[in-house]
Amino acid sequence: MSGPTVLAFETSCDETGVAVVRGREVLSNVIGSQVDLHARFGGVVPEVAARAHVESIRSLSHRALGEAGVHPDDLDGVAATQGPGLIGPLLVGFSFGKAMAWARQLPFVGVDHMEGHLTAPVLESDFEPPAVALLASGGHSQLVHVKAWGDYEVLGETIDDAAGEAFDKLARYLGLGFPGGPAIDAASDGGDPTALDLPRPLRDRPLDFSFSGLKTAVITRIESAKQAGTLPPLADVAASIQEAIVDSLLEKAFNAIEATGVEVLGGGGGVFANRRLREKFADEADRRGVALHIPSRKLCTDNGAMIGAAGVRLLQDGQYSSWGSNVDVNMRLG
Amino acid sequence: MKLVAIESSTPASSVALMDGTDVVGSASRIDRRGHSAFLTAALDFCLDQADWSPADLDGVAVGIGPGLYTGLRVGIATAQGLAATLGIPIVPVTSLDALAHRSKTGRRHIWAIVDLRRGEFAVASYRPVPGGVVRDTMPEVVTPQGLRAMLLSDADDVLLVGDVPALGDGFLTGLHRARVGRPRFPSAVAVAGLGGPRIAHDDVPHPDEVRPLYLRDPDVTVSSALLEHKSPWEDA
Ligand SMILES: [Zn+2]
Repeated sequence: MSGPTVLAFETSCDETGVAVVRGREVLSNVIGSQVDLHARFGGVVPEVAARAHVESIRSLSHRALGEAGVHPDDLDGVAATQGPGLIGPLLVGFSFGKAMAWARQLPFVGVDHMEGHLTAPVLESDFEPPAVALLASGGHSQLVHVKAWGDYEVLGETIDDAAGEAFDKLARYLGLGFPGGPAIDAASDGGDPTALDLPRPLRDRPLDFSFSGLKTAVITRIESAKQAGTLPPLADVAASIQEAIVDSLLEKAFNAIEATGVEVLGGGGGVFANRRLREKFADEADRRGVALHIPSRKLCTDNGAMIGAAGVRLLQDGQYSSWGSNVDVNMRLG
Repeated sequence: MKLVAIESSTPASSVALMDGTDVVGSASRIDRRGHSAFLTAALDFCLDQADWSPADLDGVAVGIGPGLYTGLRVGIATAQGLAATLGIPIVPVTSLDALAHRSKTGRRHIWAIVDLRRGEFAVASYRPVPGGVVRDTMPEVVTPQGLRAMLLSDADDVLLVGDVPALGDGFLTGLHRARVGRPRFPSAVAVAGLGGPRIAHDDVPHPDEVRPLYLRDPDVTVSSALLEHKSPWEDA
């Protein structure tokens, strides 16, 4: 069974993603990354992001269709991220996609960015609800109970920084640059993850995350070590930070597995590109006999294909958005 | 030739359908936030009224600003999506040109004004010629005080078009040779009037050249603490 063919747009933050998805198959998945644009500001600047999206979306959509070998006539629908995200960036992809759909009189579906992340595993595996999904990136850290497609309950989330934000802030402090996740991942090579004893917070709230205490703990430790002239090697610090964030995500994810009694764990978001995290999740899932569905790195970070995957589902359910629909920066699952 | 025009670089969004020089459908709304909700729905409504289908369209004209960033990006993204899907040309028209083009000038020197917010305005001056207007100056960003100085040094009688009320209450005091004209906001009909002939004469740019005219760099505030932060290892 092949399923409908959907052209999909993702522009909620700093990646312009355009993809063609047919059923559960990715026909093309092109990304115009703005990482270099934002790196010198130490974070994503919404106005800079919006400008870059509007300049690249036309040619990227052309490329996505070309690489897929799909003519607009062959499409069954168009999907675009509706929220949550940054208003300026969201509006570019949503408006462009809606106009494309209208021009061909095709169904248009606005997609929740988080539903995109939690649907992404279907593009590479037989991932099916009921499941728990952990979504972790620079903008979000959420545990979601996926009871059925379209039936979601948010079990827990961060009470302060997102996991990716913690990586960014700590990488900035360590002088490692932006984005922080890949920088700390690289810097941790050969480091001792037990070198710094860092807190694993919110033991009393088993499904929620908190990362701001970690940041404070690291800075306090390093500053006093520096005073004492006992600064540990950077690799040890990076490895310890990474271990603390990964352990926290791991513990809460498996708490959710226990709380719901489901045996399937999905994951997504840029933080899942982290090598140590992928390794530890695989080991723990193995140990507990839980079926783990983490997409390849390219489908973990923001991309159009995941919006296409969720778009296919919404299209099959007939959940179309009207021509008068708009973006929703505070969109929430469930 | 069947043309669709989109203008959303100010609080007033509008779309227009033209058959040659005839307006066969138009819709507009004043709403600073609802551009994306309005534009495609309005296009759908107008095409329905005209009994056209999107595939009948021969070209797209779009307002590229200067103006409110979010609105003009929604307009351009919508126009780009249409043109790319239908494989039809797209032409850009500035909001200032669209304002001046629709003014009833007489002999006065025309100053077109668009509110950019944060106390700044985009302006350009035009002079009437037989059959239309010609732009005298490049669009620039000015404060109300700066604009007053420019108007006081203009030797001609002047007609101000655009968002004059946004310049503030006392703005016109002492500007004895200035008169305020219409329109206040650029319209899709004006965008069509300027873009249509260019499409008819095949005077169209590559679609990637149809970009917002911001006139200002993005407002980026980077904390100095962040930029000056040194790695703890750097001087250890
Ligand atoms: Zn994301």
